[in-house]
Amino acid sequence: MPARGLGFRLAVHGVGSLVLGFLLLPIFAVVPASLNHGSFIRLPPEAWSTRWYARFFADPEWLTTLLTSFEVAAIATAVSAVFGTAAALGLARTGGRLRAMLTGLILAPMIVPVIVTAVALYYVGRYWGMTGTVAGLAMAHVLMCMPFVVLNVGVSLRALDPSWIRAAEGLGASPPRVFATVTLPTILPGLFGGAVFSIITSFDEVVLSIFIAGVQAKTLPVKMWEVVRLEFTPVLSVASTLLVALTVVLFVLFRLAAARAQAAGAGR
Amino acid sequence: MLTAAARRRLVTVTLLAPATLFLAVAFVLPLGVLLKLSFAAPAGPFSTYAEILGGWLYTRVFWNTLVLAAAVTVVSVIVAYPTAYMLTLLKGWALTFALYGVLFPLWISVLIRTFSWILLLEKNGPVNRGLAATGIFDRPVEFLFSHTGVLIGMIHVLLPYAVLPVYANMLRVDSRLLLASDGLGAPPWLTFGRVYLPLTMPGVGAGAVFVFLLSLGFFITPALLGGANNMTVAMLIENLVNERLAWPLAGAASFLLLAAILVLLAAAARFVRLDTALEVR
Repeated sequence: MPARGLGFRLAVHGVGSLVLGFLLLPIFAVVPASLNHGSFIRLPPEAWSTRWYARFFADPEWLTTLLTSFEVAAIATAVSAVFGTAAALGLARTGGRLRAMLTGLILAPMIVPVIVTAVALYYVGRYWGMTGTVAGLAMAHVLMCMPFVVLNVGVSLRALDPSWIRAAEGLGASPPRVFATVTLPTILPGLFGGAVFSIITSFDEVVLSIFIAGVQAKTLPVKMWEVVRLEFTPVLSVASTLLVALTVVLFVLFRLAAARAQAAGAGR
Repeated sequence: MLTAAARRRLVTVTLLAPATLFLAVAFVLPLGVLLKLSFAAPAGPFSTYAEILGGWLYTRVFWNTLVLAAAVTVVSVIVAYPTAYMLTLLKGWALTFALYGVLFPLWISVLIRTFSWILLLEKNGPVNRGLAATGIFDRPVEFLFSHTGVLIGMIHVLLPYAVLPVYANMLRVDSRLLLASDGLGAPPWLTFGRVYLPLTMPGVGAGAVFVFLLSLGFFITPALLGGANNMTVAMLIENLVNERLAWPLAGAASFLLLAAILVLLAAAARFVRLDTALEVR
């Protein structure tokens, strides 16, 4: 865009900054809320205290849900990483209609409203004995996590020059060796990014989880969902703040990996 | 001994099999069961669909959902446009920071973002106290359990999906075209209206389609911020399953919603490229 007047640029930056503030600031409202001293959340707090953190970590039910969340995220991410990477490699070897159809199938759980998938899984899950189990939750989460692995690995796979593979093969490397020495290092940043996104997707997932969790296998967001419908206790802001903190850490890790992948790509 | 081509095909099939089989069992099959269930009402195979499409109560929920989705989409796109434009003006760390400002909220759970808005929009919350301080409002605004609250919460959650495709599109605009327009004597507003806006419309279209489709299936935010008068289709489905145990009706509502989304998606695919925007995160 050619240079425009100062007034115009001020207006654009003004509106844009307001929108960024609108996007970012409300997320962090849970942080001061978690540091309230009183039993009712007031923003900003009149008296500050960390006693609700002590309450959170002393409550076996909250801790159990946190543990369940970690378990589910670990299984869902591991399965998504293996199935998703294999699928991305397989998709790169196909073309035309088949490739479009399979890509559509893999991305479909992102397009079908989650409530529809949740209700369908809840119905069959009761017969399959999946509801109320960590395995059932993890299986449901894979639906939402795997697309990110396939997309991310697919993007980094485009940086793979097919002549490298032919060169490795020509030098006598076996297919597993070619994969370990040529393919895997190239897709590793994409795989890492997809895995980080899987973890966060699983940790954040609410709709599928509230249908499948039952009473035996609640994840942190399921417990939060139950509590938020009853009362707005500061413990809820503690749980939210912990999730936001975890997200910040994973976001930074993801960005660092993306920056490294980009630097590696530019070096070629 | 297999030929090279047959071996190649075998490897491809082996790579694709786990994900495909998993999706067949954990996704396609459950949806198929639900579809079959929607035709399994005692009153006849199409009775559930007739009940939803013929019932005043149900059609109002569908209508509410459409109006809400349209409102969220219009506001999101209008707000997203100048924001995306600002991103194109930024460089260096300012660009990185602003871009992360758009991307980071996508990582935060919808539940937390909605909870934050409950805290902010409460009767005695900071927003109402701020409004009271201006002296314009003499009593607290009822944001929660109202249309306004749902609208604010949903725009907050979905706005990044509007900003990203518009921004990606703006980056692809050839600035020489704008210089040419300027050089030929067009005033800035004419260059914008006749050159820049038309060139960035595909991004606006992709953003609008995204926000609209995601709005249609939204559950958490309307369920927490809205009242009984603001029921969306997703809330209706949950209600039919959990409160009324009316599985065939829930199935019919689900597939009517899904059909609406697929029709819109097919119509939109003729005008905008949706796959590119999915990769931005």
